[in-house]
Amino acid sequence: MHLFLLGVSHRTAPVDLRERLDFSSRDLSAAAGAIAAKPSMSEAVVLSTCNRSELYVATTDPACAREELVSFISEYHHVSTPTFQPHLFALENSAAVAHLFRVAAGLDSLVVGEPQILGQVKEAYQTSASKRCVGPVLSNVFRWSFGVGKRVRTETALGEGAVSVSYAAVALARKIFGRLTGRRVLVVGAGEISSLTAQHLRAHGVGEIVITSRTHAHAEELATLVGGLAVPWEAMTSALGAADIVITATGSQRPIISRAQLEAAQGHRRGSALFIIDIAVPRDVDPAVGEIEQVFLYNIDDLQIIVEENLSRRAAEVERAESIVNDEVTKFMAWQRSRSAVPTVVALRQRFESIRRSELQRLEGKLGPLTPEARARVDEVTRLIVEKLLLEPTEQLKALPDEETQAAYTEAVNRLFRLQDEDASEPSKRS
Amino acid sequence: MNTLPLLLYAAAGVAYAIHFARRDSAIGRAATTLLLFGALVHTFVIGMQTMEVRHLPFANFSRAVSSFVWLLTLSYLYLELTTDERSMGVFILPVIIGLQLIPVLHPGVERADPVLDSPWFWVHVSSLLFAYASFALAGVLGVTYMLQFKEIKKKHLGYFYTRLPSLQILDIMNSRAVTVGWVFLTFGVIIGAVWTAQARTIAPDDPNLRAMSIDDPKIFVALLTWGVYSFAVFARRTLGWTGRRAAWLSSVGFAFAMVNFLAINYFVTTSHTFY
Repeated sequence: MHLFLLGVSHRTAPVDLRERLDFSSRDLSAAAGAIAAKPSMSEAVVLSTCNRSELYVATTDPACAREELVSFISEYHHVSTPTFQPHLFALENSAAVAHLFRVAAGLDSLVVGEPQILGQVKEAYQTSASKRCVGPVLSNVFRWSFGVGKRVRTETALGEGAVSVSYAAVALARKIFGRLTGRRVLVVGAGEISSLTAQHLRAHGVGEIVITSRTHAHAEELATLVGGLAVPWEAMTSALGAADIVITATGSQRPIISRAQLEAAQGHRRGSALFIIDIAVPRDVDPAVGEIEQVFLYNIDDLQIIVEENLSRRAAEVERAESIVNDEVTKFMAWQRSRSAVPTVVALRQRFESIRRSELQRLEGKLGPLTPEARARVDEVTRLIVEKLLLEPTEQLKALPDEETQAAYTEAVNRLFRLQDEDASEPSKRS
Repeated sequence: MNTLPLLLYAAAGVAYAIHFARRDSAIGRAATTLLLFGALVHTFVIGMQTMEVRHLPFANFSRAVSSFVWLLTLSYLYLELTTDERSMGVFILPVIIGLQLIPVLHPGVERADPVLDSPWFWVHVSSLLFAYASFALAGVLGVTYMLQFKEIKKKHLGYFYTRLPSLQILDIMNSRAVTVGWVFLTFGVIIGAVWTAQARTIAPDDPNLRAMSIDDPKIFVALLTWGVYSFAVFARRTLGWTGRRAAWLSSVGFAFAMVNFLAINYFVTTSHTFY
């Protein structure tokens, strides 16, 4: 049985094609079920995110599986084969294992080290498992990949540090305030980054989000999106006094928050910290505001620098993460080989055991006069001899370095001991 | 007798430093385990000394320092185990190790003085040692707050940013440690005054007791320390002196407390020389 992978990712296909081949908007388990029901395939997992659509299958014939999967994709998404075929990538066995491990570790992500992918891999696996579309091949490799993702995350700094402006702002807010539960947020001016930041803050459990904009309709729109409260532009100064986190993103050509204005508001705050994220260009907040005690002022450039530093720190960790993935691929393949040797080992043991029993039976007449204790001793001694004879070959067979050698050795053992020969099971008849 | 706890504290200190640098949780757990063992052995040492002199070993300078280190270790462990935050260890362990060197290098002999044979005296010393232990924690929290504050304020997010807890948590822990310390300091000073008045009736000619007044450097600096911490507690609640200002105050207060506990006790004092 082979592990086979066919898919498109941000490395091979443009975004419009990835959108057309996206499985996640429809029933993933139905797609996995349909694939696993194809003649050449017995197991299937569909991993579909905004950056990839990958089909992992267990098959006896990878070439045939490829053809069937291509026609399935074409029919399922109503896309002609020539449209997507040049963008497909296909991997088999150890290469497919390595790819899955890299994906789970976040090494293949558009933003290296992003944390969501491991959860998405787990979800894809569980969806297929719930439909009984996974068997030993996919089950083992996917379960192993979860461990790889976790190991890379704990042993390297690949996932550390925010790599988008909005996440960097949230990370800073958490470093200042600890838990954000109950913190009050003021959004001044409704733009894309301020909206994203407000949404991230909401996800971290902030309390009230107050939004104000010169165009009240924009404030109301954002308020609906993030579950906040739109207030008139004139109420900004009083809202400043109550806020813990302020996001400013207006199109104003001059600063709209001055030091004097903030100092007046700070008087009512009794020393509690204020974090201001000034995303606007030109800036909305007078830089002198940052000099006020307990006020932390960050503009878009400051946040961008943090993001770039974090990205370069992640890039420095890629090598370590790759070596962990390689190490895990080697371990997994060795483990799988040791498992594929199991049927031969079992057959070999059964064969030896049957010889032992039949020889003891043949000598029944001569052993008859022995006491029950002596007979038990003979039985034990013969059993130990068989055990010792088989110990070394069993270990050697499990530890072979590659699949080809293992196939050759297994074949040789099968032939030498006639393991698949039914007649051979009764050697005493020929002796 | 104090050497084994010192060795365990030193080993824990090294482990805390490695944990801080590498952020390896297994080494962090090892550091906590070593410190727990150190505290356990130290508890045994203090227990033995208590049985030996039939009261807590406070009346000798070295033993008082050893008891202080023991209380500080227990207070720190309480803080670490309740907050699950190990990054303070690397800052507090040098204080623990440095102070524990004193009883190891100068063991001294505890002298029984009938004047000290009063429950008021033991409550006075216990309260002050516990207050100093709280102030030591607050001082370290204050220093770490300032390190973290500086990085965030100056927008140079670096070494400490990735390793220390949030400013808010550091500030809350600092506030609690200062308040607890201030309560014990106030209580200890009042009990000290009560004990002095009582002891003077028993031994009116005792030179130590005669020297107990505001002119005595030890008492003067103790009241100054009380003043600093009283201001810290008051300013936080009424003037909004939180964050960096509170951190700074607790560091200054701790400096006063340590000067009084170590330097003045050793070189200058006249009223508190019972050993």
